[in-house]
Amino acid sequence: MSLLLAESFAERGARERAQSLLDAQSARELIGPFARLSSPYLAAQGVVAQSDDGTVVMRGTLGGERACVVATDGRFLGGSIGEIGGAKIAGALELARRDFERGTPTRMVLALDTGGIRLQEANLGILAVTEICDAIVALRMLMPVVAVIAGRVGVYGGLSLSTALCSSIIVSEGARVGLNGPDVVETESGIEEMDSSDRPLIWRVTGGRMRFEAGFASELVPDDVQAIRAAVEHAFTHPRPLPPLEPPEFPDPRLERDAFLRAMGIEP
Amino acid sequence: MSASVRGRVWLEKLAAGGAPVAGLPPSVLASDTAIDGHAVRVIAVVPDTHARFARARNGEVGIDEGFGLARAIRATPQGSAILAIVDVPGQAFGTREEAVGLQRALAASAEAYVLARRGGHPVLALVVGKAISGAFLAHGLQAGWIGALDDGAIEIHVMSEPAVARVTRMEREDLARVAREVPATARDIKTFATFGAIDRIFEVSDPDAPSGADVSRVLQTLAQVLREPELGLRDPVERLARPQAQATRAIARRVRDELQAQWDA
Repeated sequence: MSLLLAESFAERGARERAQSLLDAQSARELIGPFARLSSPYLAAQGVVAQSDDGTVVMRGTLGGERACVVATDGRFLGGSIGEIGGAKIAGALELARRDFERGTPTRMVLALDTGGIRLQEANLGILAVTEICDAIVALRMLMPVVAVIAGRVGVYGGLSLSTALCSSIIVSEGARVGLNGPDVVETESGIEEMDSSDRPLIWRVTGGRMRFEAGFASELVPDDVQAIRAAVEHAFTHPRPLPPLEPPEFPDPRLERDAFLRAMGIEP
Repeated sequence: MSASVRGRVWLEKLAAGGAPVAGLPPSVLASDTAIDGHAVRVIAVVPDTHARFARARNGEVGIDEGFGLARAIRATPQGSAILAIVDVPGQAFGTREEAVGLQRALAASAEAYVLARRGGHPVLALVVGKAISGAFLAHGLQAGWIGALDDGAIEIHVMSEPAVARVTRMEREDLARVAREVPATARDIKTFATFGAIDRIFEVSDPDAPSGADVSRVLQTLAQVLREPELGLRDPVERLARPQAQATRAIARRVRDELQAQWDA
């Protein structure tokens, strides 16, 4: 039993998260902030661009094997995926597939913390997410693709669809996973459907523990760098397949909302 | 909101005389037909006012639709192409859906399209109505070839305007101005086509009630596309190389070039 204090993963930035998942001293960033590749679409929308566009690509080793970690920065525009971030994720997945075909497999880890497609670059974002989905499935047919959802935002929108395609999904208790964020459900369907200020309900419906218990995640981890790192390595050495994408058992959705949630084991 | 009839209308016209596929929820229609001698499974999501999930009664892609699409796609007969008729006003926005894991239902159909295309089934899509957000990711965007009707009522976007206004804290008038200045935020089909994902835009007399001439023009083009199966087998990344995408997606190509150059440095 180690007496070391837990080091929070969620409190780290995207760069530090990516580094912490790779072997010590092995991390090397690609297209780093000094490449000055930042979104040209944000200024017209009153947003200051960030020089890495909120997505960090790190090459290195993981358990001694070639690896690449892509991490998104939940603190920049909610970790949203636009043209550059989307191309970084899709491009890295495409190169990992090329590596496999060349006989030099590269372990691919997506450490996502994102509200989804960036609204300020919507059309480019949805095209990039289409490429990401295709690339995940293509790589997953050859070797594991591991998603880590352990940030403050969690994973929502198009990226929740993408991560559901990964072979392993590691979630922390502090992370949330859902297609539509609570604000969006409330705006589209009314406050009776979802009260976005009801934090406890949102956690019970979309929180990491609930997702793990429902069988939608392969591993539930504490917010601790060493635990998450170990879970990632384990996902490559001992892949445990998630259930196929088939409808789970669920109560009759015609039940009144709270009764439905109770029947799902969620106290509303 | 009145539910759109376009998905059903175009499926019935393009797959006239086809054999309906059984075992699907009422909101997912599929029909096995032949276009100019090429076997095609035509698939659409349609409104079902009695759908058991209340937030998926207007043609939205919800739990039953995502998994239902996946079932229809996975069971496509050997040697058959797939044609997705796209008229989807969005994904289902509901608490019940989120509790059941809506992202997995949409992932199921997106995955099924990818595996079908990569498994040798040409996948085509025809956008006849709304093509919105997760619903379009789940039904249409994984096609190797995408056509669309030239119609002002067609909307392609990732979130409704009121929801965007709420999330970005911008006024709706500002959003309209931004859409003119930043094409990546526009919602019309012509602008979307400038990014290279739309292969053909069809002018039709009436998108809600297409004439015989409208339908035969679309069928003629589909027949041409089916004669070149590699068109329906193209991966989405190939869109980056299209002539329309030269300027509009230059940054996405540059990112890939730099990644590749630095990958093994």
